[in-house]
Amino acid sequence: MNFSKRNQVWIVVALAIWLVIASLPVVWTAIISLRSYVDAFANPVKWTAPVTFENYRALWVDREFYKNFVNTAIVTLGTVSISLTVGCLAAYALARYRGALGFWLLLLALVFRALPHSTLLPSFFTMFDALGIRNTYIALIFVLVAINQPFTIWMLRSFFMNIPAELDEAAMVDGCTRFQAFRRVVIPVMWPGIVTTGLFSFLLAYNDFLLSSALTNAEKMTMPAAIANSISAESEALLMQGVAGAVSITLPLIILVVLFQRQIVSGLTQGAVKG
Amino acid sequence: MARVQLNEVSRVWNSAGIRTVGLKPLSLDIADGEFIVLLGPSGCGKTTTMRIVAGLEESSAGEVWIGDRCVNSLEPKDRDVAMVFQSYGLYPNMTVRENIAFPLKIRGTPRADIEPAVARAAAMVELNDLLDRKPKALSGGQRQRVALARAIVRKPAVFLMDEPLSNLDAKLRVSMRSHIKHLHHTLKTTTIYVTHDQIEAMTLADRVVVMSKAEIQQIGTPQQIYNDPANTFVASFVGSPAMNLIEGELLAGVFRCNGIEIAGFDAVRDGRVLLGVRPEDVAVQAAATRDVDSQRYVLVNADVFTCELTGDATLVVCDVRGQRITAKADKNVRYEIGDKVGLGFSAIHSFLFDAVTQDRIRK
Repeated sequence: MNFSKRNQVWIVVALAIWLVIASLPVVWTAIISLRSYVDAFANPVKWTAPVTFENYRALWVDREFYKNFVNTAIVTLGTVSISLTVGCLAAYALARYRGALGFWLLLLALVFRALPHSTLLPSFFTMFDALGIRNTYIALIFVLVAINQPFTIWMLRSFFMNIPAELDEAAMVDGCTRFQAFRRVVIPVMWPGIVTTGLFSFLLAYNDFLLSSALTNAEKMTMPAAIANSISAESEALLMQGVAGAVSITLPLIILVVLFQRQIVSGLTQGAVKG
Repeated sequence: MARVQLNEVSRVWNSAGIRTVGLKPLSLDIADGEFIVLLGPSGCGKTTTMRIVAGLEESSAGEVWIGDRCVNSLEPKDRDVAMVFQSYGLYPNMTVRENIAFPLKIRGTPRADIEPAVARAAAMVELNDLLDRKPKALSGGQRQRVALARAIVRKPAVFLMDEPLSNLDAKLRVSMRSHIKHLHHTLKTTTIYVTHDQIEAMTLADRVVVMSKAEIQQIGTPQQIYNDPANTFVASFVGSPAMNLIEGELLAGVFRCNGIEIAGFDAVRDGRVLLGVRPEDVAVQAAATRDVDSQRYVLVNADVFTCELTGDATLVVCDVRGQRITAKADKNVRYEIGDKVGLGFSAIHSFLFDAVTQDRIRK
């Protein structure tokens, strides 16, 4: 796109204003997380105040927030790796399969995806109680994968569709089995698509609040659910820990998005639009 | 090196209750070392036939033999064929060298043998300088040469080529065509080549298989296909510009249509027929002159509809009482639109086809 000089100026100004409005809450949270309660919520607002890491220390050390961090790491890693493995196999098959059944499977997946997550919770409770796996990582990963899978399949499928079938066929004539063609020829070409889908899958699992707080107790909770409990508490100290926690959760996300911004954008434009 | 036989091979798709015939039962016997071209318009079943030989498509019935093995139940990798695809099918994440080496590597060829084999194959298609590039950094013609090298590196029993030149520009197509012809002469490997380009078929083939509507229309040498077409489809598909087809009545050895009257079809039964005349067999002269030998040709009055110069010839499209007829004349001939001309026809240079079955009527 080509804009004239004057329009460019306007665009930059508009973006700058938008940036301030959008980032203000986040930036302010980050600032007050480094203050004591009195300074953080002083009226009138204090623009400068002594910096303290007390909130972070209280959260990570006293409250053992690192446990929630580990919980999140386990659940997120589990969800991403399972949904990518299943997603790649299913999406590849659905991208290459030419029968009518494939269409109905994809549609079914979409319907499942469209349901509000909370409507599924009651049946999950019953099921996990019966299986005796309520309040385990496995149960949470299972649910996150199930909710995530339609999306990953659709997204990966649209990436696979962009890879010409001639590539698999060339590989099979050259001496590969179908699976070898998939693993040695198709997957290496698919990497950008897998990374992008993996990122979205990661974001869903990482940001989940509803399922974690419903299916696990404090011991197994992921970070967002644990923080929500802190913020709702009435104590001043807990509130400040919640603020510090919010920043702790957001920071890795911001780093991740900055690192992978190109893949995320290409995923949004390729995967979503063409899917 | 192998003979390839197809016995009553057919393909039918059943999708949502709709039956689509991709290929009617087809039999074909390809000799060892032969260059066979499957020629036809898109959707005629030629690519399906090739994919069935490759094992990329399952046949609904019939048997495919490569050498002395029935390959019906074999995976593509076990059929000892190599294939060149229309859009090349190169592995984009590998270099040219890795692309060419891939068939050997995946089949467990010792590393020491791969390097010289790759060098040999690359040399045959003049690729030695490009071995370390990725396919993305190559032109269309270079990419197709990589695909060729990848096919020949393994010395397979059969080459399958699916419209390998269709994605190239006209000039490159001609040079790649001679490349392929030369390769076949050197390697003498049985080759099945699919194309919709009649020039490719005529220039490359030992035998051409003309296909249409999911079945074979004619099998023959390029000369046979051109000079002795079996039906109107073959007659009009092969040859450029296409053969003129004039519908008329045959009565006592005389063809009549709208004032055109050509004698000399003795010993042919009467009835509705199509008269086929190739443009180069139609003589053209200015109306007032007598250039054309009236002993050999029947002259018909016509108006010039357009006159097209192709460089090596002039195509004179004429209107004979509503019937469009193309004549190919010398490159120096010039007419204006609307000029009166005389067109010369001759029974010796014409073909007769049944108006109903479209099949050739032979004398």
